[in-house]
Amino acid sequence: MKNSEQSLSHPEKFKVDTSVMLEALDLSKRYEDGVLALDRLNLQVRSGQIFAMLGANGAGKTTTINLFLNYIDPTGGEARVNGITTHKNPLQAKSNLSYVSENVTLYPNFTALQNMDFFARIAGKNGLSYADYAEILNRVGLQTEAHHKKLKDFSKGMRQKCGIAIAIIKDAPAVLLDEPTAGLDPQAGREFIDLLSRLREEGKAVLMSTHDIFRAREIADEIGIMSAGRLVLQAGKDELAGEDLEKLYMEYMSGSKQN
Amino acid sequence: MFKTIVIKEIRDITKSKKFLMSFPAAALLIILSFYVGGRWFQLNQHRYEAALAGNLRQMEGITDWIMVKHHIFLPPQPLAALVNGVDNDIGRNIEMFGQGELESGDSRFSDDPVFAMFRFLDIEFIFSVVLALFAIMFGYNAVNGEKETGTLRLVFANAVPKEQFILGKMTGVLLTVIIPLLLPILAGCLILMLMRIPMTADDWIRLSLIVTAGILYFSVFLLLSIFLSAVTRSSSTSFLFALLVWIFATLIIPRVAVLLAGRAANVPAVDEIAAQKFSFRSQLWAEDVQKMNRFTPPRTGNPREMMDAFQRFMGDLSRKRNEKIMAYAKRLNEERRNLQNLQETTAFSISRISPASNFSLAAMHLAGTSIELKQHFLDEAMSYQQSYAKFLSAKTGGLLPGSGMVFRLIEEDDEEPETINPHELPVFEYKPATLSALLDYAFFDLAMLVLFNLIFFAGGYAAFLRYDVR
Ligand SMILES: Nc1ncnc2c1ncn2[C@@H]1O[C@H](COP(=O)(O)OP(=O)(O)OP(=O)(O)O)[C@@H](O)[C@H]1O
Ligand SMILES: [Mg+2]
Repeated sequence: MKNSEQSLSHPEKFKVDTSVMLEALDLSKRYEDGVLALDRLNLQVRSGQIFAMLGANGAGKTTTINLFLNYIDPTGGEARVNGITTHKNPLQAKSNLSYVSENVTLYPNFTALQNMDFFARIAGKNGLSYADYAEILNRVGLQTEAHHKKLKDFSKGMRQKCGIAIAIIKDAPAVLLDEPTAGLDPQAGREFIDLLSRLREEGKAVLMSTHDIFRAREIADEIGIMSAGRLVLQAGKDELAGEDLEKLYMEYMSGSKQN
Repeated sequence: MFKTIVIKEIRDITKSKKFLMSFPAAALLIILSFYVGGRWFQLNQHRYEAALAGNLRQMEGITDWIMVKHHIFLPPQPLAALVNGVDNDIGRNIEMFGQGELESGDSRFSDDPVFAMFRFLDIEFIFSVVLALFAIMFGYNAVNGEKETGTLRLVFANAVPKEQFILGKMTGVLLTVIIPLLLPILAGCLILMLMRIPMTADDWIRLSLIVTAGILYFSVFLLLSIFLSAVTRSSSTSFLFALLVWIFATLIIPRVAVLLAGRAANVPAVDEIAAQKFSFRSQLWAEDVQKMNRFTPPRTGNPREMMDAFQRFMGDLSRKRNEKIMAYAKRLNEERRNLQNLQETTAFSISRISPASNFSLAAMHLAGTSIELKQHFLDEAMSYQQSYAKFLSAKTGGLLPGSGMVFRLIEEDDEEPETINPHELPVFEYKPATLSALLDYAFFDLAMLVLFNLIFFAGGYAAFLRYDVR
């Protein structure tokens, strides 16, 4: 079973392309309880590109991100970050990754600045000052008054901004975002889109999962639709120019259209 | 990386509400236990001096050493006030005889049951019960708590080796909780000095070993609860497990051990032994009475010579009788002691699977208040008995009061007899067990505490390497 999911029979797929920062190669995951959450996923995200994964609940988006972070091992294929296979070389792969979770929770007894300090240090950024942290917190839209507040007094949006600030400060070439805009108000959502385009300008490869079709369409360079662990549609911004993405999405979800 | 994690842990704990609230309470309890120990010692010293003076006072006006009822007392020890052990339960008072068996009586609690309350404030209790809970509070959610808040996930999105994280965490927790506890302990020592408790250099060494045992015990519970937090998903589960272990270790195992030991060896009650000795003594006495009836003094006509002959005869009888009684008593005591040893060894061996027992036993051994104290006091009293006997026979011309009857011929024409000087009595100088002997006793339990630390450290470490950080 494990062998059938592993497709080492296509060696050409395993060639390293330097501009490809995030890559899934026949990536599969079957959980211990037998659920096949990811079925031979192939995708690439290049530097300076934003890839948005859409898909219903349980489609396998978080599983994909967990595999890139090596929180779980794949049961087939591999995930690569900057050419490094995550489950073989997890620490090296992770030093190339920034990550913002769906529900950012930091140390509740620490202030925003103290949290920034800790996460900057474990990301390997040791020489930074509190002024640097404050600058980035301001950049993600967290007002100066909040910098010295304990995280337990933060709203969901404020925490999300902190999480993004932590991802930015690591300055890794690849960024993974799991539903980063969930629960953000429209204003914060807007600011977030601006932050993302700035990351793109800096040449980061961004892989985000989202349920927000409109934002995805607005910002993403590549859009993938996932269903039951498979990537059922992948298309560039230009290919989707005239299409009604929401309609397409519904069609793929209902299974009336197959790739 | 390691340093970052340690510092994070220190900050995280010291900023938490539970630390800010519970630490002062624990510190206060520790300081209080030292203070109460100091006061307890002073009080006991006072009573001890009063008892000594009272002993001499009741001899005033006595004209014959043969009439003296002399008592010796177990002098209070500073460490015994801090770690009570059996100190308050054993008899502190021995009536001296020139020969025969000695028996201690009058324990502190039998005098003043209200002081039985104080045992709940000695440092042994504070450490083994209160501080273990304190340790659980700071360890039970060390790992799974971070999973619940989600920070573990975020930390491991970075190139953080798991080994370093768990080592940093353990180091951080141990440092943050143990170092602040040393402060009230030092304050407690300072209080002892201010109260002018006469601690010898040996006492200080023993106290620092007791504190070391306490810290080892404390870290057993910290590492145990960290271990539990790394093998359970939710912090409420690990808290429950940690509490269960605490209840078993401090309350159930020591009691069950005593119960099981009671079944392993049937030690006759002291009263039973005493009854046996008494009937043996009565039997010998009855035999001797017959001999006395048959005694006919040499008819020299000189009452003095007749009296002396009678005296010698009686002395002889009494000596022989005593030898028999002593031999019999020795045999009974030995039998009982052997059974008791078996019982104690069984109880100790079983209870030693509990770190709380290891700590209690180590602390009591080091303080000199473990179960051996009673025997040690008796041994000391018996060695004093020899010099006392020598003194008495010098004073009375070979007579040793203590058993049987003594007849003295009082001659009317003698001048007013002189009263004795009680201060001539040899002084009972109690020597507590030596440090090396105490260390020998305590060594096994200290080693067990180290072993428990290693086990839970290794367990926590290994469990975390397999821990799902999602
Ligand atoms: N630890 C697990 N053990 C077993 N099955 C799991 C586990 N985690 C996820 N799954 C299953 O894998 C499938 C994919 O889940 P995943 O969390 O990747 O979906 P998702 O696309 O992120 O969904 P959502 O939009 O709700 O976040 C689901 O069927 C889910 O039930
Ligand atoms: Mg998800």
